[in-house]
Amino acid sequence: MNIKRILGIDTLQEKYAYSTDPRFGYTSSEKIPDSWVPTTCGYCSVGCGMLIGVKDGKAITVRGDVDHPVNQGKLCPKGLSEHYMIEADTRARYPMLRENGKLGRVSWDTALSTMLEKFGAVQAKFGKDALGIIGTGQLVTEEFYTLGKLAQIGFGTKNYCGNTTLCMASAVAGYKRTFGGDGPPGAYEDLEKADVVLLIGANIADNHPILCQRLEKNTHKTLIVADPRVTKTAMMADVFLPVKPRSDIALLNGMMHILIRAGLIDHDYIARHTTGFADLKASLDKYTPEHVSTLTGLSQELIYKTALLYGRAKAAFIGWTMGVNHSTQGAETVNAINNLALITGNIGREGASPFSITGQCNAMGTRETGCTSGLPGYRKFESPEDRQQIANFWNVDVSRIPTSRGLAYPDIIEGAVGRKIRALWIIATNPVVSYPNFAVLKQAFENLEFLVVQDGFAPTPTTEYAHLVLPAAIWGEKEGTYTNSERRVSKVNKAVEPPGEAKSDFDIFLAIAEKLGCKDHLYPGWSGPRYAFDEWRRVSKGRPCDYSGMTYELIEEHGGLQWPFPEGAVPSVTRMYEDGKFQTADGRANLIPIEWEPFPDQPVKDFPFVFNTGRTVEHWHTRTKTGKVPILEGMSPRAWLEMNPRDAKKLELKPHDKVDIVSKRSRVSGVELRITEIVAPGQVFMPFHFAETNSNLITQSAFDPISREPNYKQCAVRVEKTGAGHMGAAQ
Amino acid sequence: MTKCIGCHCCEVACNEQNNNPPDMNWRRVGEIEGGVYPFTQRFYLSMGCNHCLEPSCLQGCPVDAYTKDALTGIVQHSADACIGCQYCTWNCQYGVPQYNPERGVVGKCDMCYGRLAEGREPACVNACPEQAIQIEVVEVAAWKTDFVQLGNAPGMPIADRTVSTTRITLPDNLPTEIQKADYARVRPEHSHMPLVIMTVLTQLSVGAFVSVWLMALLGRTELLGLGAAAAFGVANLALAASTLHLGRPIHAYRALKMWKRSWLSREVLLFTLFAGAASVYAGALWFGFPGTAALGGITGLLGIGGITASAYIYLVPARPSWNSKHTLAEFLLAGAILGPLFLAAFTPEDGLLLMAATAAAGAQLLNQGAKFLWLTRSDEFELKASSRLLSNDLEKLFILRFALLVLGGMVLPSLGYAIPGLLLALAGELLGRYLFFVSVVPKNMAASFFSGRAA
Repeated sequence: MNIKRILGIDTLQEKYAYSTDPRFGYTSSEKIPDSWVPTTCGYCSVGCGMLIGVKDGKAITVRGDVDHPVNQGKLCPKGLSEHYMIEADTRARYPMLRENGKLGRVSWDTALSTMLEKFGAVQAKFGKDALGIIGTGQLVTEEFYTLGKLAQIGFGTKNYCGNTTLCMASAVAGYKRTFGGDGPPGAYEDLEKADVVLLIGANIADNHPILCQRLEKNTHKTLIVADPRVTKTAMMADVFLPVKPRSDIALLNGMMHILIRAGLIDHDYIARHTTGFADLKASLDKYTPEHVSTLTGLSQELIYKTALLYGRAKAAFIGWTMGVNHSTQGAETVNAINNLALITGNIGREGASPFSITGQCNAMGTRETGCTSGLPGYRKFESPEDRQQIANFWNVDVSRIPTSRGLAYPDIIEGAVGRKIRALWIIATNPVVSYPNFAVLKQAFENLEFLVVQDGFAPTPTTEYAHLVLPAAIWGEKEGTYTNSERRVSKVNKAVEPPGEAKSDFDIFLAIAEKLGCKDHLYPGWSGPRYAFDEWRRVSKGRPCDYSGMTYELIEEHGGLQWPFPEGAVPSVTRMYEDGKFQTADGRANLIPIEWEPFPDQPVKDFPFVFNTGRTVEHWHTRTKTGKVPILEGMSPRAWLEMNPRDAKKLELKPHDKVDIVSKRSRVSGVELRITEIVAPGQVFMPFHFAETNSNLITQSAFDPISREPNYKQCAVRVEKTGAGHMGAAQ
Repeated sequence: MTKCIGCHCCEVACNEQNNNPPDMNWRRVGEIEGGVYPFTQRFYLSMGCNHCLEPSCLQGCPVDAYTKDALTGIVQHSADACIGCQYCTWNCQYGVPQYNPERGVVGKCDMCYGRLAEGREPACVNACPEQAIQIEVVEVAAWKTDFVQLGNAPGMPIADRTVSTTRITLPDNLPTEIQKADYARVRPEHSHMPLVIMTVLTQLSVGAFVSVWLMALLGRTELLGLGAAAAFGVANLALAASTLHLGRPIHAYRALKMWKRSWLSREVLLFTLFAGAASVYAGALWFGFPGTAALGGITGLLGIGGITASAYIYLVPARPSWNSKHTLAEFLLAGAILGPLFLAAFTPEDGLLLMAATAAAGAQLLNQGAKFLWLTRSDEFELKASSRLLSNDLEKLFILRFALLVLGGMVLPSLGYAIPGLLLALAGELLGRYLFFVSVVPKNMAASFFSGRAA
């Protein structure tokens, strides 16, 4: 501190001066950039349009794009402070190779040579599929498309999956089972047009706040929220359904039971566009209001009221997120939602849709172009015709296209535990914090012969296990497209250079292909993401996710374009299945009988609480990004455990006490207690963002048999005052 | 309050607009909760400045840095005029003005005056996805009665005193009992060490001069000049320490400006005059000039006036545990304990001075004990919380404070030990003053579970 400041002559007048930005008006002079670069937010999949203010090659501020159709100028607190993450001191800057136990800086050439040498050795010895690749929902679509080819053809492994399995796999699997293919049918506009909006396991006020704005525009709606916890979103509801954990299938079946008997179903739609109604109807017989009341904990009156509200709506919308997906019955719950929408004809119309609200900014992009659970363009590994099409596009023999999907994410991890997977490449995800039951993951990592972690941040808890770290550019430093929850493809632009020697994931993939010797074959003449986009447009032509009419310029002009967008299409709000024709062989949607089952790991005497996990508005996933944004970190600096006052009284715990949460698997220590009526007696809730107090030390290895998504939302725990348990152990 | 979903967008947008450090938020979102599961109700209060009709920040400011805009009613603060005394941060019951240590001045929400002038909405309004914040013109005459219904909300201090002009839309079915999310999170406040030193030492000095004067009246003159000179030295030390409290010490003189309105200006004025009178009085005693009795009287009165003004600074409704007669008593008694002990340390053995100190220490013991009982028995959240701080977080220091008072102020003087008594009693009063500063629980709006107001 200088003497002028100490005396008080200097009060940093320049830093605190104001002037007028030509576009956004009067503001701090230091926040007035040389140029505004339009882009799309890189956090969640709402897909908000925004502008990055760039001055002297640095991102100094951001603003919402007033003209963008999704967010109309608004951003959530993460978006409003997104430029700070670019400047984080924990950005990965150089390739780092582990030698003698320590990561040390190496050249890109050494890094990639070592990677290919190690991967090659493993694949030569244990087979091509001994290499696993775990991707993400964070890259641009062009990179996903490029990576898919690189994985399947370049490396020849089919064991490629993404962290999207930890969030949206149940929705994908549910859509595929009901509709014959993936894709959220509705649009955000439906939130504004529906008479009834039913949110199940979706706390949008914390997780997708900008969607609340769309909902708020709808003044005639009835909002119904089903959640075991009185979330911020529950507080917005006209009707709140405080369901018991994992009783949503019972609720949905109970609603259908009532609606069928009340005649509030669309017989015509069922007859023309669905199959399996008779079996479904029979399966619903036992879901009487009495029975459903017992399973859900809701009064019969409330169940009737909810069913009738939904059934009588002219247009009813069902939105869901992780409360549904993070479950061993996730895909089936999605089927139950789809059943309800189909038998009431609430699909393919304005305001009427079953709609999964996606998590990551571009989880949709990896689903479209994937090569994980399907071939690009929602093609199926199992279909010879689809395989042949892809082989033709890629100019390879069809025998090189796998005939079934490879291992899903949890099975790759289990595969490493069982030494079937010997080398692993992790791209833009942080499983040490995000993967359930950490002990299993740790075992898997320790078994690996070579682990490559490619990320924009290092160190992260996951790079601690890496043999090689590849530094990647992040949002704001590269170009491409994201697809949001409503199938809107938006442009992502480069505003600043990546730090140090970090490269875009696209460039890393091409550099690897070059070294593998397949670049000229797989990516002939490619020098930027635009090449990938152009090929992908051709590949997607005629598919549900048809990009063929899109160009980067057209996308930017309209603030994103919703697919399908074939050549000659006019930009407009699109919905899937408007004609009642589905992606199944016979064009009819499948009505699938679904049975309620109790969740695994039920509370018992020694573990009496149901442990629920989720998010808070200030943070993104494992906090590698938002943990480095001081204003967000200040608002939400550490994890907490929510407990009902009645339980706290029994355990003689006080607010802000530090507690341990113990499951059959492990213990998480020193979590700050929040005593609140937000949670029901017998339940506790903890946010999962915090590596320091990692909820996934105690979550279980239980996965949806259909989608392979983990059951993060319910497991049995006990709560002890921190220190008390250890004292007991010492005695 | 019915629309806000607690997304904190307004806070982030405000900081971006004003380039404030991340731990300083001119706009804050508080959380309140009531009801029993599943009928739980949670509400969020997004608050900037309330632009009160009778702003206490403005009224207390010693340098007239605040203005209430005649046209818009916006309460504006001038960083150029501000000297960083932080008195406004004590006066505002909403915690709106915040001291920025990086700048040495206070800053606050000005409703984005500059944006309004361009016909744009404030940054918070612009960022809110729920249209929960709106700017409207206040009909002053009507609002003076309407605010009782429309300006009050659970989780907010009562709007009566300063007439907040924020209209808060309350939901229809409020639970009868609503708690702030941060209700159990009471932390010690800033200790303001320069003020601890300044207040205790000025009180010592005044006490010493009054003692000198009384002893002179009783005809005991031996070494009084030395005692007075030393007390004058202490007074100067105290006043020098006080400038260290300011963010902009070089502009300390500006604090004299608002003596007609601000107790802080009056304190500065009276202590300055006291110091002047004390120098003349000490000089007169030193050189043995005649007519010192009147001079001593004037010095003593100015000093007592200064201490009184000092105490009145702290009698602010926004800081309930300060806002009582115990504060004035504590300040005066500190002088009455330390002054005679100080003089006794310089002059030959004099039982009278030691007896006076012992009596004053006894009174201070009663005063402090009574204050603690008052805090403990109060129903007011902030007072009760202060007592909890003293009996939990600060327990050991609080006990030590009493021990030092009894030992240094009563036991040692009655045994005739002036210097050890002075040292311990001084330590006791310094510690007591430290506790005075850190144990206050200011009135404030609700915060969120984690983010309380930065002390």
